Amino acid sequence: MKLMFRYIMKNKLLMVFNIIGLFGFALVELGIPTVVSSMIDDGIAKQDIAYILWMGLVLLGLALLGSAGTILLCYASAKISTNVARDIRDDIFSKSQTFSHAEYDKFGISSMIIRTTNDVFQLQQFINLVLRTALLSPLMIITSISMTLYTSTSLSAVVGIAIPIMLVAIVIMAAFVKPISERQQKYLDRLNQVSRENLTGVRVIRAFRKEAYEVERFHASNKDFTKETKKIFKLMSLSQPSFVLLLNLAVLGVFIVSSHLIGAGSLEVGQMVAFMDYQFHTMFSFMLFALVFSLYPRARVSAGRITELLKEEPSIHNEAVDMQIPAGKEGTLEFDHVSFAYPHTDKLILHDISFTAKRGETVAIIGSTGCGKSTLIQLIPRLYDVTRGSVSLDGIDVRHYDLDTLRNKIGYIPQKTILFSGTIADNMRFGKHDASHEELEQAAKIAQAYDFIMDKPDQFEEMVYEGGVNMSGGQKQRMSIARAVVRQPEIYIFDDSFSALDFKTDAALRARLKEVTANSIVLIVAQRISSITEADRILVLDGGEIVGCGSHKELLKNCPVYLEIAESQLTKEELEKWTR
Amino acid sequence: MDQIKTKKHVFSCLFSFFKPYLPPLIAGFILILLSAGFAAAAPVTEGLITTQLTSDAMDLMSGTPGAGIHFEYIFSVVFVLVGLYLANAACSYIYNFCLTNAIQNAMFDLRDAIEKKLQKLPVSYFDKHAYGDILSRITNDVDTLSNALQQSLPQIINAIFVIVFAFIMMFTINVWMALIALVLIPGTVLLSRFIIRKSQRLFQAQQDALGNLNGTVQEKYTGFSEIKLYGKQKEAIEEFQAANRQVCQHGFKAQFISGLMSPLIAFMTYLIIGSIAVLGAVNAINGVMTVGNLQAFIRYIWQIFQPLSQVTQLSATIQSSVAAATRVAQILYEEDMQEQHTSESLANAKGNVSFEQVSFGYSPDKIFIHDLTFRVKSGQTVAIVGPTGAGKTTIINLLLRFYDVTGGAVKIDDVDIRHVPRSELRSNFGMVLQDTWLFHGSIYDNIKYGKDDATEQEIIEAAKIANVHDFILSLPDGYQTFINEEGTNVSQGEKQLITIARAVLADPSILILDEATSSIDTRLEKKLQNAMQNVMEGRTSFVIAHRLSTIRNADLILVMKDGRIAEQGTHEELLRQKGIYETLYNSQFAEEMD
Repeated sequence: MKLMFRYIMKNKLLMVFNIIGLFGFALVELGIPTVVSSMIDDGIAKQDIAYILWMGLVLLGLALLGSAGTILLCYASAKISTNVARDIRDDIFSKSQTFSHAEYDKFGISSMIIRTTNDVFQLQQFINLVLRTALLSPLMIITSISMTLYTSTSLSAVVGIAIPIMLVAIVIMAAFVKPISERQQKYLDRLNQVSRENLTGVRVIRAFRKEAYEVERFHASNKDFTKETKKIFKLMSLSQPSFVLLLNLAVLGVFIVSSHLIGAGSLEVGQMVAFMDYQFHTMFSFMLFALVFSLYPRARVSAGRITELLKEEPSIHNEAVDMQIPAGKEGTLEFDHVSFAYPHTDKLILHDISFTAKRGETVAIIGSTGCGKSTLIQLIPRLYDVTRGSVSLDGIDVRHYDLDTLRNKIGYIPQKTILFSGTIADNMRFGKHDASHEELEQAAKIAQAYDFIMDKPDQFEEMVYEGGVNMSGGQKQRMSIARAVVRQPEIYIFDDSFSALDFKTDAALRARLKEVTANSIVLIVAQRISSITEADRILVLDGGEIVGCGSHKELLKNCPVYLEIAESQLTKEELEKWTR
Repeated sequence: MDQIKTKKHVFSCLFSFFKPYLPPLIAGFILILLSAGFAAAAPVTEGLITTQLTSDAMDLMSGTPGAGIHFEYIFSVVFVLVGLYLANAACSYIYNFCLTNAIQNAMFDLRDAIEKKLQKLPVSYFDKHAYGDILSRITNDVDTLSNALQQSLPQIINAIFVIVFAFIMMFTINVWMALIALVLIPGTVLLSRFIIRKSQRLFQAQQDALGNLNGTVQEKYTGFSEIKLYGKQKEAIEEFQAANRQVCQHGFKAQFISGLMSPLIAFMTYLIIGSIAVLGAVNAINGVMTVGNLQAFIRYIWQIFQPLSQVTQLSATIQSSVAAATRVAQILYEEDMQEQHTSESLANAKGNVSFEQVSFGYSPDKIFIHDLTFRVKSGQTVAIVGPTGAGKTTIINLLLRFYDVTGGAVKIDDVDIRHVPRSELRSNFGMVLQDTWLFHGSIYDNIKYGKDDATEQEIIEAAKIANVHDFILSLPDGYQTFINEEGTNVSQGEKQLITIARAVLADPSILILDEATSSIDTRLEKKLQNAMQNVMEGRTSFVIAHRLSTIRNADLILVMKDGRIAEQGTHEELLRQKGIYETLYNSQFAEEMD
C-alpha cells in the first residue's frame, strides 16, 4: 500500500482530476434520484408540467456533467496507473543494474523477471480499479449518508443495519475462500507440473511404454484440482445472490418504515423513492469496494515482492582508491590467503587459497564439481568479494579499483554463453564499443568464428536472435571468445569455455589464442584433463582447498586427487605414457 | 471462409465436452430464466406499494374522511415481495451450482482428453512445436477457458433473460416509453462494436509492447554477468526504458479507450432515464400512469443498464477465451500416430538389429539419412560417434520408431519394426538419456518406472547394479526421498545413475545409452562408467559415445557424418583405415598420446 501510494503521489495533478471525475460520477448517480423525487413530489403532486420539463433539462445537464466527469476519471485513472507502472519498472530495472551476483542469486533470475513484468502489471490493474471504483465508495457513502440523513433520520437506520450485515458476510466469505483458494493453487501447480513432465519426458515415456500410467497420473491431479475449483466457485457464487437478497430486504424495510412515516405526515412519497435509490447506489458501491479489496491481498503480495527488490542493497560497492602500482608487481595476479563463503552463509567454499600468476603464464584449475573452481575465478572481476584474504592485480587489491577499470582488464568467457539480440558485430563490440571492423575480423579469426560468420547471409551484420537461438552451441561459444579477444584484456579467464567445440576447432583455436595471449595472464577452468596438460601450472582443488600445484607430469606423480581424476578420464596406456 | 470453418470446429469441439452435462446445464438455464422472471416481477410489485402510498398520502393531505395508510394491503404486498426475493435468491444459488458442476466437469474431461491426446501424438509433433507453446496451451489456455466460461456464461445468459423480461414489463406498462428505452439496445451494440474494434488494435499493440519488454528483461537479466563484466549497465537501462515507455504509452491508450465504454453507455442510460422521467411525469399528471409504475419503469432501466455494461466488459474475456479454445482445439484435432501392424510378433526379441538401406528425412523433401546399412548381433555394443548434427540421435529415433523410415527398413530379429505395434517393439528397449528425465516423486517410484510390478527387492537390486544404492541410502529419506522439480537435491550424475537403475529394472534386450558430454563430477564418472558396463552386459547396446574407453570397447563403431556412415568397424580396424576416425581420434587425444 505504501509503495503504491508513494508512486501514485508522483501524479498529483492527475490525482486531482481523478477525484474531480469521481465527484462528477457521484453527482449523477445520486443527483438523478433526487431530481426524479422532486419531479414526483413537486411536479406530479402539484400537476406542474413546466416544472417537470425544467427538471428534465436539469437531468440533461446532470447527465452531461456526470459523463464528462467519468470520462475525465477514465483518463486520469488510466494515465496514473500506467505512469505508476512505468516508474516502478524503471526503478526496479535501474536497481537491478546495481546488483551484484549475490543479489541475483538471492532472488533468482526468473523471479526477478516476474517481479519486473507480472507483479508490476498486477499493481497497474489494481491501481486502475481502485482509482476508478473503490475510491468512489467512500465518496458515495459520505454523500448518500448525508443525503439520507437529510431526507429522513429514521429511514437511515435501515441502511445502518444492512451495511454491517454485509460487511460481516464479506469477511466470513473471505475467511472461507482463502484456504480453499490456496489449496486450489497448489493443485493447479501440481497439474501443470505433470503436464510439463509429460512434455519434457515424451521420449522416455514412450520408450518405457508409460502412456497409460501418465494419463492416470494426470487424471488423479486433475480430479483433485477440479474438486477444489468446484468448491471455490460454488462458494463464490453464493455472494452475488446473497447480496441482492440483502438489498431487497432492505428495500422492504424502507417500505415498512416509510409507510408509518408517510402516515404520520413526516415523509413524502417522492422522498421515499429517492431514498431507495440512494440506498441502492450506496450499497452497490459498497459491494464494489468490497470486491476491489478482495483483490487487495494479491496486489499486496506483488507489492511486497517489488518492495523487497527495491530495498535490497547491493553487496559490492564501487570504492575506488587512488593507488600507485608497486614496483615489480605489474602484470601479476595474486591470491593471498583467500577464503570465501557465499553471503549469508557460514560454509566456506574456498579455504586459504594462495597463488600467483604472471603475465604470459597459463594457469589451469581442475577439480570435481562443487570444488569451488568457478567461484574462485569469479572473485577476480569482483562478481563476489572475498570473505577473508585478498585478490590483487598489479599489486593493488581488486576492491580498490574502479569497477569498470578493473573489469575492463578482464576477458571473461563464462561456461554458459549469453548473446544479446542485435547483430554479430554489436555482440562483438560488447567487448570494445569502438572496435574497428578490422579488429572484429581479427578477433573472429582467432576465435575460429570467421568462417561461420562469413557463411551467414549478412555476415557481421547478421542478426542474433534473443538468446542466440539461431546459433549452435559451438558457434555461440566462439562468439563469446571473440568478444573477449576484441577487448585485448590483460587477463583471460576461460571457465570451461571449450566444451561445445569439436576437437579440430578446439585445437585450431588454442593455437591461434596463443598468439594474442602471449602478453596476458590466462586462467583456464577445466573438467577434462586432456585440455590442460600444456598449462604452465595446474591447481588441483578439492573441497575448496588447493591440494596440488604443478605441471601435469609432476601432479601425476605427487598428487593423489589429480591421479584419481586422470584415471577416470584417460585409458591405461595413455596414463602409462605420461608417467613413464 | 477458412476462419469461419475453424471457428465452427472450435465450437463443436467445445460443445462435445458439454454434451454429457446437458441436463444440469439445461436445468441451470431454466433456473436462470426463473430467477430473471422473479427479478423482473419485483419492481412492479414494489410499485404497487408506492402507488398505494401516493394515493393514501394524497387522501391524507386533502383530508378525505377515513383516510389513512392501508397497512393490510401494504403488508400483503410486502409478503408477496419476500416470496419473490427468496425465490429469486434460491434460483440463483441453484443455477450457480448446476452450471459450476457442468462447466467444471466439462473442463475436467477436456483436460483429461488433452492428456490422452498428448500420449497419442507422434513424437514429431513435440519436435516441431516449441515446448513452451504446447505447455501454455495445456495449462494457461485451458485455465483461461475454464475461468471465462465460469464467469461469463451465467452472466451472459442471465443478462439476456433480465433484459428481455425487463422489456416485457416495460411494454406492459407503457408502449411508447418502452420504445424509447429500447433505443438503448442498438445504441449499446453500435457503441461497443465501435470501441471494441478500436481497442482491439490497441490491446494488440499493448500485448506486443509487453512482449518486447519481457524479451528485453529476460535478456538483460540472464545476461547480467556479461553486462557487468563489460560495463554495459547504462546502455541496458536506456534500452529497457525505451521498451518501458512503449508499454506505458500503448497501455494507457488501450486502457483509456476500452474504459470509455461504460461512461458512454451510462450517458445513454442517463439520457433515457431523463426523457422517461419527464414523459412519465407528464403521463402521471394526465392520469395515464401511476406513480408506482413510473418508479418501476425507472428501476427497470437500471436493471437493464447493469447487465448491459457488464456484458460489454466481458467482450475482452470472451475474445481471449475464444482464442484459447482455438489453440486447445488445434491440439485435439491433430492427427494421431498411425499403427499398421501385421501379425508378426516381437514380444521377446533376442536383439539382432539391422538397418537395411535406410533413408530418412524429418521432412519428406529433405532426405537427411541416406542408404544406411549395418548389422548388429545380439549382445554386441555399438558406439555411434560423429559431430553434432551428423545423425546420431536420428538412429535412436528410428530404432524406437519415434519416427518411421522413409525408405529401406529397420529390422529386429529379421522382423520389420513397422510390422509390430509400437508398444510391443518398445518393450524390448531400455533407454538412458543425457537429459535425465525424472518425475516429481520418490526415488523408489522413479526407479520402479522401469517395471510396474517390481518388488522392493528387485528395485534395490537394480540400484545396486547401477552403483547408486549407497548414495540413495545416504540421503535422509533413502528410497523415499523426493526428487524436487529442479532436481537440485540430487546431482546430475546421480540422476543419471537413477535412470540407469530404471533401465536395469526394465531388463530390456536392447539398450540405448546417450553418454553425458560434459561436466559431471570426475569421481562420479567412474561410478557411471562401471554402471554403464554393468547394464550393457549381455544386451545389445547402442551408445552415443563421447568417452574414449566406451568407444574402444565397442564391438562396432559407426562414424557418422552428414547423415551417412562414413566408416564402420572396430577401433583397431578404423585406425588402420586412416580415415576420418583416425583424424578424429588423433585430434581428440593428440595431447594425451604425446
